Amino acid sequence: MNEFCLEISSANKSFPGVKALDQATFQLRKASIHALLGENGAGKSTLIKIITGVHKQDSGKLIINGKEETLNNPNDATKFGISVVHQERNLIRRFSVGENLMLNNMPKTALGLIDYNEIAIQSKKWLKILDLDIDPNTLVSDLTVAKMQLCEIAKALSLKAKILLLDEPTSSLSPQESKILFSLLKKIVREEGVSIVFVSHKLEEVFNICDDVTVLRDGQNACTSEDIKNLDRQKLVRLMIGRDEQIVKSTRKNQNTKDTILALKNVKTELGHKNINLELNRSEIIGLYGLVGAGRTELMKCLIGQDKITDGEVIINGKKVTINSPKSALEKFKIGYISEDRKKEGLILIHNVLDNTSITVWSQIKKAIGFVSDGMISKKVDPYISQLEVKTPSNYQLISNLSGGNQQKISVAKWLAAGTDILIIDEPTVGIDIKTKAYLHELIIKLADDGTSIILISSDMPEMISLADKIIVMNNFQMNGIVENNHDYDSVSSKIMEYIHT
Amino acid sequence: MNKKIPNFIYTNQFGLLCLVLIFTLIFSTSTDGFTSRFNIFALSRVIAIDIMIGLAMMVVILTGGLNLALGAIGVCAAMFGGWCMEVLGIPIIPSILLMLGMGSFLGWINGIITVKTGVHSFVVTLATMSIYFGFMTMLTEAEAFRRLPELFTDFGSAKLFNKYVSPLLLVSVATCFALFYLFRFTDIGRKLIAAGANPEAAELSGISVNRMFIYCHMLSGFLGALAAILLTTRIGAAIPSMAGQLGMDWLLPAFLAPVIGGTLLSGGKLSVFGTMLGAVLVTLLTNGLYLLDVGEFWIRFFLGIILLLAVLLDRTREYFTLKSVIVS
Repeated sequence: MNEFCLEISSANKSFPGVKALDQATFQLRKASIHALLGENGAGKSTLIKIITGVHKQDSGKLIINGKEETLNNPNDATKFGISVVHQERNLIRRFSVGENLMLNNMPKTALGLIDYNEIAIQSKKWLKILDLDIDPNTLVSDLTVAKMQLCEIAKALSLKAKILLLDEPTSSLSPQESKILFSLLKKIVREEGVSIVFVSHKLEEVFNICDDVTVLRDGQNACTSEDIKNLDRQKLVRLMIGRDEQIVKSTRKNQNTKDTILALKNVKTELGHKNINLELNRSEIIGLYGLVGAGRTELMKCLIGQDKITDGEVIINGKKVTINSPKSALEKFKIGYISEDRKKEGLILIHNVLDNTSITVWSQIKKAIGFVSDGMISKKVDPYISQLEVKTPSNYQLISNLSGGNQQKISVAKWLAAGTDILIIDEPTVGIDIKTKAYLHELIIKLADDGTSIILISSDMPEMISLADKIIVMNNFQMNGIVENNHDYDSVSSKIMEYIHT
Repeated sequence: MNKKIPNFIYTNQFGLLCLVLIFTLIFSTSTDGFTSRFNIFALSRVIAIDIMIGLAMMVVILTGGLNLALGAIGVCAAMFGGWCMEVLGIPIIPSILLMLGMGSFLGWINGIITVKTGVHSFVVTLATMSIYFGFMTMLTEAEAFRRLPELFTDFGSAKLFNKYVSPLLLVSVATCFALFYLFRFTDIGRKLIAAGANPEAAELSGISVNRMFIYCHMLSGFLGALAAILLTTRIGAAIPSMAGQLGMDWLLPAFLAPVIGGTLLSGGKLSVFGTMLGAVLVTLLTNGLYLLDVGEFWIRFFLGIILLLAVLLDRTREYFTLKSVIVS
């Protein structure tokens, strides 16, 4: 018997203008967890798409359980027990958990109607494997993000998946939730004999749960099925980016300005926030930490006028103000919001680099009768595009053709171009490769040093502790406490966790 | 940063231009009278109106919506203008301005209802189509205004360029240039497109999307009224049935031109000159088929098929704009 349940050897795949995979090799051992790493654009997604039958390799072999196979579409992959859990949720929110789990395989009664009892019975079986104590009749929309993630895995298992691909499964989970997920993953590997391909940008997790590592760089193997025990963080990073990691040390010029630029006093919102008090000084970085659903993003959306503040005071530069819309936040108060969801709320994917970067400045640069030319726009935004080292063949490239890291740079660039005084940055590095992540961290610090006041929302504890000056811990749409950040990871993180659980 | 604008050869417009030339060639060889001075003049008058109707629909499709009330708005504007000129004796220029105002006002109503209720404009304009048309029929008692000022109707029958071209076509082409300028070179035009492409992102980037959507509906009403003015000068009278029952005769050309021309049905991408060429192509086909003695019903059949093909084209276009994500 072959010890590999899935093998890809010397696969090549080209797209117009790009060689996405160049002699890539990948071997998945039975009942193991295999990390697939690489920066954005290294070819991970392409490899996954070949495994799941979305793309076909130009050359090279795909071997499943020792036999060479051809996958023509995702259905073929499912037949071989290959299942993928994406970053984006693929559950139907208005269906129940049970219906979602059994969707591809609905049990029917003798009359051909759907047998809801049977759905409950069968789906419970799968939920039990994952130690999930959920009533199958619960609507998916009522679940927490973490539970949804687990339901997706349960769904994949219910399709008799023997090979499970997890694409950044923890990007929206808290540390505890991730821990639970990991112990379950280990359990299904051990007890069900499932093999897992694990894609993540968080190296801590890789060392925590993976057995083998394959690293791709520019479509080629930087290492193939290396035993994780032979690697350490330094080595792994070097494999991924081809040089040593530059650790961002918070080298802030000490910012003890007492120049309060924004203050919230006893703010209540229509979304349910209560007793929000916050003071932001010039050049300060305030962090908002909390679990997903703590109401951080929602609070900021109320601040910029997307949703309503129902009570309390918002004070900007000493004056009490009302912000009615993101438009007035930007134009009157110079507040910008960089969304966590860059594809949905941040960028216009079907438009080009130039239009996306300049969307915030058209009103500023227009001449008589609203005249705005591409030339005027380029003059305004080109400095920011090149300052951020955005990799794009031209300003007329569609945003959807850029890699995730470059897309994120564009969603930052458009707010730099707008020249904001207060910048709200929501989860700036989710799904971003290490190099770009370090770059964005440096940029945030530089912005603050240059006089911008920043509110940073992040669920990435190391990121929060290396960047923020003080950290506000939120839970359940309220503020639980404020932690002065001395950048010492252990003491600060334990204080944060204390506040979360009060 | 090096600039790279796609070659004209690869654009949708170039493809349309080729089709227009091919069909012109086919019809001029296979039919008598396609290239006659009379036919070309008649074509130019019809094309002018179809372009305008197409543009009027295009600016609402830009928002990802529809304006089914377009024809009703046009007829209302025409009847209102007829009443102003014939009954109230208001001079031509102010009457025209009033008609345009009426069109914009009716479009504004569509916009405000769509934005405030959040109901899809398909449903809203389906309702207002009936309301506008019904109201108009009630007020006018379905009577036409046939004694319009001569100067006004003369414009519709005037002939330019060795009597080959109607001045109506010039109005439409000028409107195309004006819209191209709006969408390509003004901040408001860029905001309209951004709002249509991704309302959430546009809103968070400081654009008031609701206002932009209302503008689009107003512009649609304005252009609809302009189309009605051209039509009124052409037939020399304002008639309640000039756009068919409920103004629905306008809908097919209204959709055909922008969709063939490359405007994305889901919003956020448009082509002004594509719409123009789309209207030319459709009118050319209809006219050519008439001259080939193809029956009226068959022509409708063909136009329906063309619309379906154009929508398929739209789907693939959307696919290629979104799925061109290759490596991530």
